[in-house]
Amino acid sequence: MSIVLQDLVKHIGAHTVVDHVSLEVHDGELLVLLGPSGSGKSTILRIIAGLIPADQGRVWLHGRDVTDLSPQQRNTGFVFQNYSLFRHMTVADNIEFGLASRHVPKAQRTAKREELLALVGLAGLGGRYPKQLSGGQQQRVAVARALAFEPSVLLLDEPFGALDVKIRAQLRQALKEIQQRIRVTTILVTHDQEEAFELADRIGVIDRGKLLEVGPPTALYRSPQQEFVATFLGGANLLAGQAKAGRVNLGSMELSNAASYTTVDPEGRLEVLFRPEDLMLATQREELTIPVLGQGVIEEVLFLGTLQRLRLRLQPLPDTWHLPPEFGETGVPIQIARIPRSDGHLDFQVGQQVWVGIHNFHILPRIPMRLAIGLDEHTNAEVLLNYSALLARITNGPLTVIAVAEDRADAAQLSKYARDNLMAHTGEVNYHIRAGRSPEELVRDLKQGAYDLLVLAEPRKIAPRAETNLRELVRRSPLPVLIVKGEHASIRRILFCTAGGEPGKRDIIFGGRIARRAGAATTLLYVDAATVRAARPWITNHLEEGALTLRNQGIQVGVKERHGVIIEEILQEIQQGEHDLVVIGRHLETAQTRFAQTDLASEILQRAECPVLIVTGDLNRLG
Amino acid sequence: MHSPKGWLPKLLIAVVVAYLSILILLPIAAILQGAFARGVETFLNALSEPQVIAAFRLSVTLALVAVVVNAVFGTIIAWVMVRQDFWGKGFFNALIDLPFVVSPVITGYMVVLLFGRQGWFAPFVEATGLKVAFALPGMLLVTIFVSLPFTIREVMPVLREIGTEPEQAAHTLGAGGWRTFLRVTLPGIRWGLLYGISLTLARALGEFGGVLVAGGGISGQTETATLFIFAALDERQYIAAYAVAIVLAVVSFVVLIGMEILRQRSQVTQ
Repeated sequence: MSIVLQDLVKHIGAHTVVDHVSLEVHDGELLVLLGPSGSGKSTILRIIAGLIPADQGRVWLHGRDVTDLSPQQRNTGFVFQNYSLFRHMTVADNIEFGLASRHVPKAQRTAKREELLALVGLAGLGGRYPKQLSGGQQQRVAVARALAFEPSVLLLDEPFGALDVKIRAQLRQALKEIQQRIRVTTILVTHDQEEAFELADRIGVIDRGKLLEVGPPTALYRSPQQEFVATFLGGANLLAGQAKAGRVNLGSMELSNAASYTTVDPEGRLEVLFRPEDLMLATQREELTIPVLGQGVIEEVLFLGTLQRLRLRLQPLPDTWHLPPEFGETGVPIQIARIPRSDGHLDFQVGQQVWVGIHNFHILPRIPMRLAIGLDEHTNAEVLLNYSALLARITNGPLTVIAVAEDRADAAQLSKYARDNLMAHTGEVNYHIRAGRSPEELVRDLKQGAYDLLVLAEPRKIAPRAETNLRELVRRSPLPVLIVKGEHASIRRILFCTAGGEPGKRDIIFGGRIARRAGAATTLLYVDAATVRAARPWITNHLEEGALTLRNQGIQVGVKERHGVIIEEILQEIQQGEHDLVVIGRHLETAQTRFAQTDLASEILQRAECPVLIVTGDLNRLG
Repeated sequence: MHSPKGWLPKLLIAVVVAYLSILILLPIAAILQGAFARGVETFLNALSEPQVIAAFRLSVTLALVAVVVNAVFGTIIAWVMVRQDFWGKGFFNALIDLPFVVSPVITGYMVVLLFGRQGWFAPFVEATGLKVAFALPGMLLVTIFVSLPFTIREVMPVLREIGTEPEQAAHTLGAGGWRTFLRVTLPGIRWGLLYGISLTLARALGEFGGVLVAGGGISGQTETATLFIFAALDERQYIAAYAVAIVLAVVSFVVLIGMEILRQRSQVTQ
């Protein structure tokens, strides 16, 4: 094994830039780390080279633990994105720099330099200055300089980022050849999936500091395990379907060999991926000899040379919805790629009705919702843990219990209590023990882990301190917060409060995620506080869009309007409608704080008798 | 016939030439005329007076020491200001420009206040016998102070622009801290540094008010070239005054040309 990374972690400020990354790169392999900008891939490269230290974890190069060595001692060849050539030195001096640092005699240096100049195709240009070279030539000098002292591994940080498309393609080929000739173990970092496909022996996909999946390009493209990998690599259509009585239906299509769908979750939902080129179009249903997904209308046709890309919208399919959910749209958007025939036969027009068939598909394992459970000495722990276990069963995700107390021993005690209580829970549970002030430590933990939802509980008994802690957490949490109140053994009816304004997209989408998995019925409530009743078409419109968003995901929705004092109406509706979860967005909170001493969110929190979900913070991906 | 576009540029050129001639060439011509009014020999004799030689020696000494001190410390300060973060950095960064806004006369006066007979450091001066005010050390302090910002302000943007990556590249190529500084960082900032040095030199040579107050302008002892000119004019020794002025002007001119060349070279290679 040439490169072994073990559990690397790097924080910058409150952000976790590298989040428990472990990776093994084989001898002579070219591994591409692929991810969007800011995903932490360059940071991993710099940690391997020793340019920045990791907060945690170890780096081995050829069996040697180099974690505590300086960059000079690690013997890694590094190519920077903008090459970082020494501009005051000739190309020859640049290439020889690493050898001169190692006190290699002049004659040997010259020989090596000439060999490398020939290798990268720049023979005879040793006397030039970097400024006198083109971008592509500079990049090759940077590669030659990094290889001159025969490094144990080669690390390339977006090496083609600064070049134009045509040169990029040429240099990719050249780099691949050089790498294969000298068989140096290489990690290349890029955000360009085409580059990754062309160069990589294996690709590692990174998002938000996490290494999601590693595998050969074809395997990752054809059978990804996660939604992000599926959608980041190439075009992807992702539909969520429903398994019933051993069969799975996607529209009018039946996936029959249900036995192989080991990834179907207990509620029978599954996610199906098909690539744009896995689809086939026909004007008549009979023309399709493959399974038929449904009928739709072409919305866009793009000509891209060899390929034609089409976007079309299928009529809503029973028990099937598109991922990620769109806000306020009906039907199922589908991307298709096809090779148009040169005689123009079977060309499709915008607005045309077509039938869509599927050649090929892949079923993704369920994406879990990751729950963080905040537990401190004031928390009603039993209520919290029971409800968390219920949520984890519904959302199919791992639980992380974060036990916080001023004293470490007390925190450990809390954690032990949680462990005893969750004995019967079959899913994955992690325990974090943190000493310090409760809101502070919890928020710190939240920012470091990839969680989707923070679950808290009301205090055991009324204590001013516990109240302020809770309020502070709701305010500072980067995630949606669910506050558990009372004993509830199920989630059947969910109320979305939209009083005083429009329903937020986030609360509807996030709350919908829980509703979908719980199979709960939902109600969108709008309370009009105005004494004069007037038609507000924009509110009606927006409510309808919200309802549509939920309905598109197969969720049962009702819309309700009430008039009167907002808080009283909401509380009455909770009681009368027997709702067992209330969802409110941040917009309610901010609108009210200006006028009232306590904001609406905390008032609902105090007086409602069911759990409350407050949706705030960044929701990057929803599924 | 000329179009309006034809004569307007010509008029502007005429205005610029006349303006620069009146403001710059005319005074130079006047000085040249004054210096050589009694012939070249008188000019050279005036320059070889022991008092004049002493004044030049003092000016050059002050300027060279200021250049060396400010080049070394200026580079260090610039590096720290760009590459490091520390509490109060903004305050110290603003402090660097203080010599630009404080009158040199006040600077000289501060030296007298600190090191004079009634000054804070008077006990130190008495105990060691090292005379600071009205002596070379005091004048040195003033010269270094007034020319402090130049190197720092020239080197900082260059350091910021080249970034840390060339240094990191050198580290991955096996170069240690010192080798990286000598072979990568220093060559990277050399034109900025040289430009800063020439500005420092010109400023130090031309200093007047500060060295007058701090040194007292004692003929043959604390009299610099600029102070000599002032004294000579006062005593109506015009030839001597003009001759020294010519030499200073020539030095400044050479520095100016040098700076221009450096500026052009730095544009080519950076």
